[in-house]
Amino acid sequence: MKYHVVQIEQNIMRKNDALAAGLRARFAAAGTLVVNVLSSPGSGKTTLLEETLARLAPRLRVGALVGDQATDNDARRLARSGAPVRQITTAAECRLDADMIGKALQGWDAGPLDVLFIENVGNLICPAEYDLGEDLRIVVFSVTEGEDKPLKYPLAFNTAQVAAVTKIDIADAVGFDRAAAYRSMRDVNPQIEIVELSAKTGTGLDAWTGLIEERLRHKLRQPLAAR
Amino acid sequence: MHELSVALSLLEGIEETASRDGIARVLAVHVRIGAMSGIAPDALRFSWELATAGTVAADSKLRIEDVPLAVRCERCGEDREPRAAGGLVCPVCGTVCPTIVRGRELQLVAMEVPE
Repeated sequence: MKYHVVQIEQNIMRKNDALAAGLRARFAAAGTLVVNVLSSPGSGKTTLLEETLARLAPRLRVGALVGDQATDNDARRLARSGAPVRQITTAAECRLDADMIGKALQGWDAGPLDVLFIENVGNLICPAEYDLGEDLRIVVFSVTEGEDKPLKYPLAFNTAQVAAVTKIDIADAVGFDRAAAYRSMRDVNPQIEIVELSAKTGTGLDAWTGLIEERLRHKLRQPLAAR
Repeated sequence: MHELSVALSLLEGIEETASRDGIARVLAVHVRIGAMSGIAPDALRFSWELATAGTVAADSKLRIEDVPLAVRCERCGEDREPRAAGGLVCPVCGTVCPTIVRGRELQLVAMEVPE
Protein backbone atom coordinates (compact mmCIF):
# COMPACT_ATOMS: atom_id res chain seq x y z
CA MET A 1 0.00 0.00 0.00
CA LYS A 2 1.22 3.50 -0.81
CA TYR A 3 1.80 5.58 2.25
CA HIS A 4 3.26 8.81 3.48
CA VAL A 5 5.07 9.53 6.70
CA VAL A 6 3.73 11.95 9.30
CA GLN A 7 6.51 13.21 11.60
CA ILE A 8 5.61 13.42 15.29
CA GLU A 9 8.80 13.43 17.49
CA GLN A 10 7.33 13.15 20.95
CA ASN A 11 9.04 12.00 24.15
CA ILE A 12 6.93 9.28 25.73
CA MET A 13 8.06 10.29 29.21
CA ARG A 14 6.91 13.88 28.75
CA LYS A 15 3.75 13.41 30.75
CA ASN A 16 5.57 11.87 33.70
CA ASP A 17 8.29 14.52 33.53
CA ALA A 18 5.69 17.31 33.56
CA LEU A 19 3.86 15.77 36.52
CA ALA A 20 7.18 15.30 38.35
CA ALA A 21 8.05 18.96 37.78
CA GLY A 22 4.68 19.89 39.30
CA LEU A 23 5.38 17.72 42.33
CA ARG A 24 8.86 19.20 42.72
CA ALA A 25 7.43 22.73 42.79
CA ARG A 26 4.84 21.70 45.34
CA PHE A 27 7.46 20.04 47.60
CA ALA A 28 9.72 23.10 47.23
CA ALA A 29 6.94 25.40 48.42
CA ALA A 30 6.14 23.06 51.31
CA GLY A 31 9.82 22.77 52.32
CA THR A 32 9.62 18.97 52.16
CA LEU A 33 12.69 16.92 51.28
CA VAL A 34 11.65 13.99 49.10
CA VAL A 35 13.72 10.84 49.06
CA ASN A 36 13.08 8.19 46.39
CA VAL A 37 14.40 4.81 47.55
CA LEU A 38 15.25 2.23 44.88
CA SER A 39 16.51 -1.31 45.29
CA SER A 40 16.17 -4.94 44.30
CA PRO A 41 13.69 -7.03 46.29
CA GLY A 42 15.19 -8.25 49.55
CA SER A 43 17.86 -5.57 49.96
CA GLY A 44 16.50 -4.53 53.34
CA LYS A 45 14.79 -1.38 52.10
CA THR A 46 11.77 -1.66 54.39
CA THR A 47 13.87 -2.57 57.44
CA LEU A 48 16.12 0.42 56.80
CA LEU A 49 13.13 2.75 56.42
CA GLU A 50 11.50 1.38 59.58
CA GLU A 51 14.63 2.24 61.52
CA THR A 52 15.05 5.58 59.74
CA LEU A 53 11.48 6.72 60.47
CA ALA A 54 11.77 5.65 64.10
CA ARG A 55 15.01 7.61 64.56
CA LEU A 56 13.90 10.75 62.74
CA ALA A 57 10.30 10.91 64.02
CA PRO A 58 11.20 12.47 67.40
CA ARG A 59 13.03 15.33 65.67
CA LEU A 60 11.31 15.82 62.32
CA ARG A 61 7.92 15.42 60.69
CA VAL A 62 8.53 12.36 58.51
CA GLY A 63 6.21 10.27 56.39
CA ALA A 64 6.39 7.56 53.77
CA LEU A 65 4.68 6.39 50.62
CA VAL A 66 5.26 2.73 49.91
CA GLY A 67 4.96 1.12 46.49
CA ASP A 68 4.35 -2.60 46.11
CA GLN A 69 2.68 -4.67 43.45
CA ALA A 70 0.53 -6.34 46.12
CA THR A 71 -0.20 -6.30 49.89
CA ASP A 72 0.08 -3.45 52.38
CA ASN A 73 2.47 -5.37 54.65
CA ASP A 74 5.31 -2.89 54.19
CA ALA A 75 3.10 0.10 54.99
CA ARG A 76 1.92 -1.61 58.15
CA ARG A 77 5.51 -2.28 59.17
CA LEU A 78 6.51 1.34 58.60
CA ALA A 79 3.41 2.69 60.35
CA ARG A 80 4.64 1.15 63.62
CA SER A 81 7.06 4.10 63.82
CA GLY A 82 4.02 6.33 64.37
CA ALA A 83 4.81 8.31 61.20
CA PRO A 84 2.07 8.76 58.58
CA VAL A 85 2.42 6.06 55.93
CA ARG A 86 0.38 5.31 52.85
CA GLN A 87 0.57 2.24 50.65
CA ILE A 88 0.43 2.53 46.87
CA THR A 89 -0.52 -0.80 45.35
CA THR A 90 0.69 -0.80 41.76
CA ALA A 91 -0.75 -4.19 40.65
CA ALA A 92 0.83 -4.97 37.27
CA GLU A 93 3.11 -1.94 37.27
CA CYS A 94 6.74 -2.53 38.12
CA ARG A 95 7.48 1.00 39.35
CA LEU A 96 5.96 4.13 40.82
CA ASP A 97 5.35 7.09 38.56
CA ALA A 98 4.63 10.76 39.24
CA ASP A 99 0.91 10.31 38.62
CA MET A 100 0.71 7.63 41.33
CA ILE A 101 2.49 9.94 43.78
CA GLY A 102 0.15 12.83 42.96
CA LYS A 103 -2.90 10.62 43.50
CA ALA A 104 -1.53 9.17 46.74
CA LEU A 105 -0.99 12.68 48.12
CA GLN A 106 -4.64 13.55 47.48
CA GLY A 107 -6.67 13.04 50.61
CA TRP A 108 -3.66 11.81 52.57
CA ASP A 109 -3.92 13.45 55.93
CA ALA A 110 -0.19 13.44 56.70
CA GLY A 111 0.03 17.13 57.62
CA PRO A 112 3.11 19.16 56.69
CA LEU A 113 6.22 17.00 56.32
CA ASP A 114 9.91 17.77 56.61
CA VAL A 115 10.93 14.55 54.89
CA LEU A 116 8.85 12.30 52.66
CA PHE A 117 10.35 8.90 51.89
CA ILE A 118 9.08 7.11 48.82
CA GLU A 119 9.81 3.40 48.92
CA ASN A 120 9.73 2.37 45.28
CA VAL A 121 8.75 -1.08 44.00
CA GLY A 122 11.63 -3.54 44.46
CA ASN A 123 13.19 -3.46 40.99
CA LEU A 124 16.32 -1.75 39.69
CA ILE A 125 15.28 -1.30 36.07
CA CYS A 126 11.93 0.46 35.63
CA PRO A 127 11.92 2.76 38.69
CA ALA A 128 15.17 4.34 37.47
CA GLU A 129 13.29 5.76 34.46
CA TYR A 130 10.65 7.65 36.39
CA ASP A 131 11.22 11.00 38.03
CA LEU A 132 8.96 11.33 41.07
CA GLY A 133 9.88 14.95 41.84
CA GLU A 134 12.42 13.79 44.41
CA ASP A 135 15.40 15.74 45.74
CA LEU A 136 17.44 12.72 46.58
CA ARG A 137 17.57 9.32 44.94
CA ILE A 138 18.96 6.53 47.07
CA VAL A 139 19.82 3.09 45.86
CA VAL A 140 19.85 0.43 48.58
CA PHE A 141 22.31 -2.38 47.97
CA SER A 142 22.90 -5.21 50.43
CA VAL A 143 26.19 -7.02 50.93
CA THR A 144 24.55 -10.27 49.83
CA GLU A 145 24.05 -8.93 46.29
CA GLY A 146 26.56 -9.39 43.49
CA GLU A 147 29.40 -6.89 43.43
CA ASP A 148 28.79 -6.33 39.70
CA LYS A 149 25.14 -5.37 40.14
CA PRO A 150 25.83 -1.67 39.42
CA LEU A 151 27.23 -2.73 36.04
CA LYS A 152 24.12 -4.79 35.29
CA TYR A 153 21.73 -2.01 36.34
CA PRO A 154 23.79 1.08 35.54
CA LEU A 155 20.94 3.59 35.29
CA ALA A 156 19.73 3.07 38.88
CA PHE A 157 23.24 3.68 40.24
CA ASN A 158 23.99 6.42 37.72
CA THR A 159 20.92 8.46 38.67
CA ALA A 160 21.27 8.00 42.46
CA GLN A 161 23.24 10.40 44.63
CA VAL A 162 23.66 7.95 47.50
CA ALA A 163 24.17 4.20 47.81
CA ALA A 164 23.12 2.77 51.16
CA VAL A 165 25.02 -0.49 51.63
CA THR A 166 22.91 -2.54 54.03
CA LYS A 167 23.47 -5.65 56.15
CA ILE A 168 27.07 -4.56 56.69
CA ASP A 169 27.11 -6.64 59.92
CA ILE A 170 27.27 -9.82 57.83
CA ALA A 171 29.70 -8.51 55.18
CA ASP A 172 32.58 -10.69 56.32
CA ALA A 173 30.43 -13.77 56.78
CA VAL A 174 29.16 -13.60 53.20
CA GLY A 175 32.56 -12.67 51.76
CA PHE A 176 31.45 -9.25 50.52
CA ASP A 177 34.15 -7.78 48.27
CA ARG A 178 33.89 -4.12 49.21
CA ALA A 179 36.52 -2.87 46.79
CA ALA A 180 34.92 -4.63 43.81
CA ALA A 181 31.39 -3.50 44.70
CA TYR A 182 32.38 0.14 45.19
CA ARG A 183 34.48 0.12 42.04
CA SER A 184 31.39 -1.06 40.11
CA MET A 185 29.33 1.74 41.63
CA ARG A 186 31.95 4.36 40.80
CA ASP A 187 32.31 3.00 37.28
CA VAL A 188 28.78 4.19 36.61
CA ASN A 189 28.75 7.16 39.00
CA PRO A 190 32.05 8.57 40.28
CA GLN A 191 30.19 11.07 42.51
CA ILE A 192 28.06 8.52 44.35
CA GLU A 193 28.18 8.80 48.12
CA ILE A 194 28.44 5.39 49.78
CA VAL A 195 27.09 4.84 53.29
CA GLU A 196 27.63 1.49 55.00
CA LEU A 197 25.06 0.56 57.58
CA SER A 198 23.18 -2.14 59.41
CA ALA A 199 19.59 -1.52 60.44
CA LYS A 200 19.91 -4.51 62.75
CA THR A 201 22.96 -3.50 64.79
CA GLY A 202 22.63 0.27 64.26
CA THR A 203 26.06 0.59 62.63
CA GLY A 204 26.22 3.65 60.38
CA LEU A 205 22.68 4.80 61.13
CA ASP A 206 23.77 8.07 62.74
CA ALA A 207 25.74 8.95 59.62
CA TRP A 208 22.77 7.91 57.50
CA THR A 209 20.17 10.00 59.32
CA GLY A 210 22.74 12.82 59.52
CA LEU A 211 22.99 12.76 55.73
CA ILE A 212 19.20 13.07 55.36
CA GLU A 213 19.07 15.93 57.86
CA GLU A 214 21.95 17.74 56.14
CA ARG A 215 20.15 17.45 52.79
CA LEU A 216 17.00 18.87 54.36
CA ARG A 217 18.91 21.81 55.85
CA HIS A 218 20.58 22.39 52.51
CA LYS A 219 17.21 22.45 50.73
CA LEU A 220 15.71 24.88 53.22
CA ARG A 221 18.68 27.22 52.92
CA GLN A 222 18.02 27.59 49.18
CA PRO A 223 15.77 30.43 48.07
CA LEU A 224 12.40 29.07 46.96
CA ALA A 225 13.12 29.52 43.25
CA ALA A 226 16.32 27.45 43.49
CA ARG A 227 14.85 24.44 45.33
CA MET B 1 8.44 -4.49 32.35
CA HIS B 2 6.29 -1.44 31.80
CA GLU B 3 6.04 -2.03 28.06
CA LEU B 4 2.23 -1.99 28.16
CA SER B 5 2.14 1.48 29.70
CA VAL B 6 4.73 2.63 27.15
CA ALA B 7 2.58 1.15 24.35
CA LEU B 8 -0.45 3.01 25.71
CA SER B 9 1.49 6.29 25.82
CA LEU B 10 2.61 5.75 22.23
CA LEU B 11 -0.96 5.05 21.21
CA GLU B 12 -2.11 8.23 22.92
CA GLY B 13 0.36 10.25 20.83
CA ILE B 14 -0.78 8.47 17.67
CA GLU B 15 -4.47 8.99 18.41
CA GLU B 16 -3.95 12.71 19.13
CA THR B 17 -2.08 13.23 15.87
CA ALA B 18 -4.53 11.09 13.87
CA SER B 19 -7.59 12.90 15.16
CA ARG B 20 -5.94 16.30 14.61
CA ASP B 21 -5.07 15.40 11.01
CA GLY B 22 -8.26 13.43 10.30
CA ILE B 23 -6.38 10.17 9.77
CA ALA B 24 -8.51 7.01 9.91
CA ARG B 25 -5.83 4.36 9.67
CA VAL B 26 -2.22 4.02 10.66
CA LEU B 27 -0.07 1.44 8.88
CA ALA B 28 3.12 1.67 10.89
CA VAL B 29 4.61 3.58 13.79
CA HIS B 30 8.27 4.55 14.13
CA VAL B 31 9.77 4.67 17.60
CA ARG B 32 13.26 5.21 18.97
CA ILE B 33 14.21 3.07 21.96
CA GLY B 34 17.43 3.55 23.87
CA ALA B 35 19.45 0.61 25.14
CA MET B 36 19.14 2.05 28.67
CA SER B 37 15.42 2.74 28.52
CA GLY B 38 14.55 -0.50 30.30
CA ILE B 39 12.28 -1.46 27.41
CA ALA B 40 12.57 -4.82 25.67
CA PRO B 41 11.68 -4.43 21.96
CA ASP B 42 9.96 -7.82 21.68
CA ALA B 43 7.82 -7.17 24.74
CA LEU B 44 6.94 -3.75 23.34
CA ARG B 45 5.84 -5.27 20.01
CA PHE B 46 3.64 -7.73 21.89
CA SER B 47 2.16 -4.95 24.03
CA TRP B 48 1.63 -2.82 20.94
CA GLU B 49 -0.54 -5.49 19.37
CA LEU B 50 -2.66 -5.70 22.54
CA ALA B 51 -2.87 -1.95 23.04
CA THR B 52 -3.89 -1.08 19.49
CA ALA B 53 -6.62 -3.70 18.93
CA GLY B 54 -9.77 -1.88 17.82
CA THR B 55 -8.00 1.47 17.41
CA VAL B 56 -6.82 3.58 14.49
CA ALA B 57 -3.47 1.75 14.78
CA ALA B 58 -4.87 -1.80 14.80
CA ASP B 59 -2.61 -4.24 12.92
CA SER B 60 0.01 -1.55 12.49
CA LYS B 61 3.68 -2.41 12.42
CA LEU B 62 5.95 -1.06 15.12
CA ARG B 63 9.27 -0.04 13.55
CA ILE B 64 11.84 0.21 16.31
CA GLU B 65 15.08 2.08 15.92
CA ASP B 66 17.49 0.90 18.62
CA VAL B 67 19.76 3.57 20.05
CA PRO B 68 22.97 2.29 21.62
CA LEU B 69 24.20 3.74 24.88
CA ALA B 70 26.62 6.62 24.46
CA VAL B 71 28.38 8.71 27.10
CA ARG B 72 30.28 11.96 26.87
CA CYS B 73 33.99 11.46 27.43
CA GLU B 74 35.37 14.79 28.63
CA ARG B 75 38.93 13.55 28.31
CA CYS B 76 38.62 12.52 24.65
CA GLY B 77 36.16 15.30 23.88
CA GLU B 78 33.99 12.73 22.08
CA ASP B 79 30.79 10.76 22.59
CA ARG B 80 31.69 7.11 23.15
CA GLU B 81 29.83 3.81 23.37
CA PRO B 82 30.90 1.92 26.51
CA ARG B 83 31.36 -1.83 26.38
CA ALA B 84 28.32 -3.86 27.49
CA ALA B 85 28.19 -4.38 31.28
CA GLY B 86 31.52 -2.59 31.61
CA GLY B 87 30.24 0.45 33.46
CA LEU B 88 30.03 3.92 31.94
CA VAL B 89 33.66 3.77 30.92
CA CYS B 90 35.22 5.23 27.79
CA PRO B 91 36.44 2.29 25.66
CA VAL B 92 39.30 4.42 24.31
CA CYS B 93 40.87 6.11 27.33
CA GLY B 94 39.28 4.23 30.25
CA THR B 95 37.82 7.31 31.96
CA VAL B 96 34.52 6.93 33.82
CA CYS B 97 31.95 9.05 32.00
CA PRO B 98 28.77 9.50 34.02
CA THR B 99 27.04 11.76 31.50
CA ILE B 100 24.72 9.71 29.31
CA VAL B 101 24.14 11.45 25.98
CA ARG B 102 22.17 8.74 24.16
CA GLY B 103 20.48 5.49 25.09
CA ARG B 104 17.63 6.69 27.32
CA GLU B 105 15.30 7.53 24.42
CA LEU B 106 11.65 6.58 24.47
CA GLN B 107 10.52 8.57 21.50
CA LEU B 108 7.51 8.44 19.23
CA VAL B 109 9.08 9.49 15.93
CA ALA B 110 6.53 9.23 13.11
CA MET B 111 3.70 7.23 11.60
CA GLU B 112 2.99 5.85 8.15
CA VAL B 113 -0.52 6.52 6.87
CA PRO B 114 -2.19 5.50 3.57
CA GLU B 115 -1.90 7.93 0.63
